[in-house]
Amino acid sequence: MKIKDIEARMGKQFAGCPLERDEAGVTGALWSISVPLAGLRDAATEFKDAGFFLESITALDFEDTFELVYHFNCYEPCSRVIVRMLCGHDQLAPTICDIFRGAVWLEREVHDFFGIVFSGNSDMRPLLLPEDADYHPLRKTFGKVGAYHKREVIYG
Amino acid sequence: MDELVKNEAGDRIYTLNLGPQHPSTHGVLRILLDLDGEYIVKADPVIGYGHRGHEKMGENRLYRQFFPNTSRIDYLAGLLYNHGFVLTVEKFAGIKVPERAKYIRVIASELNRISSHLLWFGTYLLDIGGITPFLYAFDDREQILDILDTITGSRLTYSYCRLGGVARDVDSKFIDMTRAFLKRMSSRWADYEALVSKNVIFIHRTRDVGVIDEELARQYGVTGPNLRACGVAFDVRRSEPYEVYDRFDFEIPTGSRGDALDRYDVRFREMQQSCRIIEQALDHLPEGEILTPKVPQKLPVPKGEVYFAFESPRGLTAYYMVGDGSQTPYRCHIRVPSFGNLNVLNEVLPGTLVADAIAILGSIDVVIPEIDR
Repeated sequence: MKIKDIEARMGKQFAGCPLERDEAGVTGALWSISVPLAGLRDAATEFKDAGFFLESITALDFEDTFELVYHFNCYEPCSRVIVRMLCGHDQLAPTICDIFRGAVWLEREVHDFFGIVFSGNSDMRPLLLPEDADYHPLRKTFGKVGAYHKREVIYG
Repeated sequence: MDELVKNEAGDRIYTLNLGPQHPSTHGVLRILLDLDGEYIVKADPVIGYGHRGHEKMGENRLYRQFFPNTSRIDYLAGLLYNHGFVLTVEKFAGIKVPERAKYIRVIASELNRISSHLLWFGTYLLDIGGITPFLYAFDDREQILDILDTITGSRLTYSYCRLGGVARDVDSKFIDMTRAFLKRMSSRWADYEALVSKNVIFIHRTRDVGVIDEELARQYGVTGPNLRACGVAFDVRRSEPYEVYDRFDFEIPTGSRGDALDRYDVRFREMQQSCRIIEQALDHLPEGEILTPKVPQKLPVPKGEVYFAFESPRGLTAYYMVGDGSQTPYRCHIRVPSFGNLNVLNEVLPGTLVADAIAILGSIDVVIPEIDR
């Protein structure tokens, strides 16, 4: 089981980072790990070398921070893993577009909607929004908003 | 002649604006092509013309209010997106679904999958110059639309599933129509094969054109028939069986070269497999309820997240919901397969002829509104 190996290696590499297993299968992923911003590229390289592909990148806007959520998956056996990291509202996120080339567009999309800048991604033009867009619609400060929470309200 | 610029080697490069209103782009897609003579040196797809903000709408609506939006994300596979959405929320809120409803959902979804593939089949052939197959394919697709019309009341944006079941039960008329359709299709495949699959002109147009190998597919997150055409038997219906897909006997067609012809071939055989699934589902359709009674108006959604993947005609599709315990999601993200499938063109198109660009674009079967969301 290569997923077990990766879990062990990641646990060692990011010792002290919370690694949550999801035995009940509620979240749709085998486990999720929270890494610091600087650790993302190492984690992504690990998954790339193990034959994973990048399924999606998305972000969450909390009152105190952004949270970036990366879903990695493998063809055989299907084993989805979540890598998440907190990114302050004024912080830059590291790019992984040289590790997974498809990440260029995914990062551009996150930049569109949240305004998170990925340092190292040379192409930060708006992807889905107009070329001159200077707003970030999925931020909770934009338009009609239901609730704006601190991260701990949802994840405890 | 402002568009003519010189590259580093001093060759004149012509920038061609393909789209956004072009019959072969299947939606409002624009591709900036840098041409050196007839050859493409750089391709930059420009998307976003159909952006409607579904994810923001999802955050501002109750879970059940967002439901009709889901058939508008990918208008060719509305029922599959409905199906995936209710499965996501049911998983999140722990709602049980009666057996009969599960089978009906599978039958309706697979019919929708065939109709999506038939539309692709017709329009792809149209793109590369074959008019007649389009008429045959739409004739067959019309049968499916009529069948789905009897249970859902609409032809494209079905909104048929409900939390805890489906909106309307199937009757003997629906079952008879579906069986008649399956019978009709069983003789159709040979016709299509003789008309298209063995057509020398078609094979020459598509063989070794637009090759996506496994590594390239992995780099861009390509899924669905485009990935299976390079020989990876990855199908969410098999790898993470949802609903009752684990009870059916079906194959996952794969190709070997990853070119346009293999992608055609994979989709063609997928339609036959969908017919097999429908047949088995009809044979084993249980009696009983179609909707769980008393699904609470106020859904018991917990705090936390759920990620649910399903197989749409174009590949791995997923809903990612984060709930804060209230009746609206805190975040509603949709992972769409066409996003990666289109993105890979950045690397597939350079080096090919302009005429092949149309053959490649058609063969990856993108639905632009799905990408734009």
